This record gives sequence, structure tokens and C-alpha cells, in this order.
Amino acid sequence: MNSHESICKLVTLAAADALSHEEMSRVEQHAETCPECRRELEVLRLYSRGLRELTPPVAPAGLLQRTRARLEQERAARAERRWHDLTLSLLALFSWASGIVFWVAARFVTGEVWKVFGTNVAVFGTWSLLCAVLVWTTAGVAVVVLRNRSESARRIL
Amino acid sequence: MILAATMLPESISCVDNAIARFRRGEPDALDAVIPEYQFRLYRFLLRLVQEPALAEDLFQQTWVRVIENASRYKAHYRFESWLFSIARNLAIDHFRRMRNVSIDAPDERGDAPVERMAAPDRDPLDSVLDFERGSILAAALGELPVIHREVLALRFEEGMSLGEIAEVAGIPLSTVKSRLQRALENLRERVGTRLSPGGRS
Repeated sequence: MNSHESICKLVTLAAADALSHEEMSRVEQHAETCPECRRELEVLRLYSRGLRELTPPVAPAGLLQRTRARLEQERAARAERRWHDLTLSLLALFSWASGIVFWVAARFVTGEVWKVFGTNVAVFGTWSLLCAVLVWTTAGVAVVVLRNRSESARRIL
Repeated sequence: MILAATMLPESISCVDNAIARFRRGEPDALDAVIPEYQFRLYRFLLRLVQEPALAEDLFQQTWVRVIENASRYKAHYRFESWLFSIARNLAIDHFRRMRNVSIDAPDERGDAPVERMAAPDRDPLDSVLDFERGSILAAALGELPVIHREVLALRFEEGMSLGEIAEVAGIPLSTVKSRLQRALENLRERVGTRLSPGGRS
């Protein structure tokens, strides 16, 4: 590849001011003696200038206000989600604590044998399983209810 | 320069201050930053998606994402690059969802070379700048593939360096250079098509 060909490849980037000082000097020196490259550089610089001077599109009226309103809405939704998470965590904790307390009390009252549908739920493992099913079912229902409430509140807004 | 035209020195320090507060974990500090970037960010998004309503929606989503990802924002990363890369990614996601096309793959049109010049000694853009300053250029810009519009908007309208463009687009510097070169050549072809006899202009 001769000098002219290698410089030709750099002319577009030179017009976009995207070359190093050294490369730019090479292009400019070559353009001084090569009418073809000089013309190419001039034309492409017109494009660069034209792009820099394009009329900027006008931002729609109220863009800022609408953006702030949306951010407020998002912040409120995030705060609500955090509150729901906290509520659910506390409920789950309370459920487990009350389940254990109830198990201890039930064992004390029933004398360690408390049959439900033929199964002795006074055994810790069975009781834990029962509690887990109850707690997670309740939590699942709570999540669905809270989410539906949030969705309908958002639709109203 | 566009940046200087849209952001005065006193507002830059105000923005720096707000960004510093944002970095310290105060999302509300962004309220002072949004007005400073509203025109540039909206313009960039409009160049990418070309629909005002969609550009506005993406503009709002960008700020929502900024707040959501505040904890992931690294202090060594330039806020501007981070902001524009979020906006860019949202626009790209939109294109992927809506059109199911690969955006990152450069557009290699198999078109035959177009007749560029209306007159042999005069480049079409000379006429554009003389008579319809910018309008044909803007229209031709709108016809380019999104990756070309992106690199041209960031380079010439936002005045970003090649390194900054690489940060925003998440591509190597060499790719930025080749994409910029191809985009300018492509733009020139499109302007030529519009101004040639039988063109769209």
C-alpha cells in the first residue's frame, strides 16, 4: 500500500478530529500536495461541521415536570415495596415465634401427644413442617394481596 | 462547543456538587442534575429512536434507572458516560424488543454504490449548507442504522472523545473509530442519494 492509499484511509477520521497529532500531521502534509485528498478532507469537514451545527430538537414542554413526577412515583413505589418487605418479614417472624410458643404450650397441655387426622403434631419435626406450610401459604397470599393493592393504587394515580 | 453552550460554568460546578452528593448516597441530589442534562439526553435519545414520545419515555426511564442503580455507580466512572450508557442501553433494549434485530452488528448493506454527486465539481453538502442548512443532513442522519446515528450524535452533537464514546457504547476504541468512519461515509452516501436527480429531497 503506497502513501496515498494509506492516507486516504485516514481522511474520514481526520475530518472527524479522531486522529492522533502525528496521524493528523501526516494527513495534512499529504493533503497539501494531493488535490484529491485535500478535496476529500474539505468535503468531509463540511459534513463534520454540518453535524456539529445541526439544529437541536426541542425538548417537549413539561418534560422536566413529568420526569420528576415519574421519579416521585417510582420513589413512592420503592418505599412501599420496602414497607411491604419489612411487614412480611415481621409477620413471618411472628408466625414462627407464635408457632413455637404454641407448640410448647400444646405439648405441655396435651402431654406430648396431640393427634390431628391421626398424626401426632406434637412431634417437633411434624409441627415445624405444618408451621412452614401455614406461614409460607399465608405469606404468599399476603404478597398477592399487597401487590394487587399497589397495582390498583397506581392505576388510580 | 455544544457542551459549553448547554452547560454554563456555574451550572457545571452545581452539577459536580450534586453528583458528589449522589455518589455519597443521596438520590434526591439528582433533582439538580436532571435539568442540566435534559436537552442533551433527550436529543441523544431522539436521535436514536426518532420518536418524540418514545424518546421522552426512555428519558424518564433513564433517570429511574440512575436512581435504582445508584449503589452500583462507581466513583471512577464519569457520570456523563454512565448516564448516556444507561440511556443507550434502554434504547437498544427497546429496538431488540420491538424489532427483534441485532443492533450491535454493523449494517452491511449490499446496496450498489449510489450516484453521489449532482454536479462533478461540487459535493452535495456544499449545496446543503448553502441552501437547506442541516435539514437534508438531519434527514439523512435519520436514515442511518442506529449504531451509526449513535456514534455520530455522541461525537458531533455531544462533543465526546473517542474514549468516552467507547465507554458509553461499551465497545473497544478501534471499533469506535471504524464505526465513526463507516457512519460518516454512509451519511455522505445518503446525502448524495437525496440530492442526486430522482433523489428523495
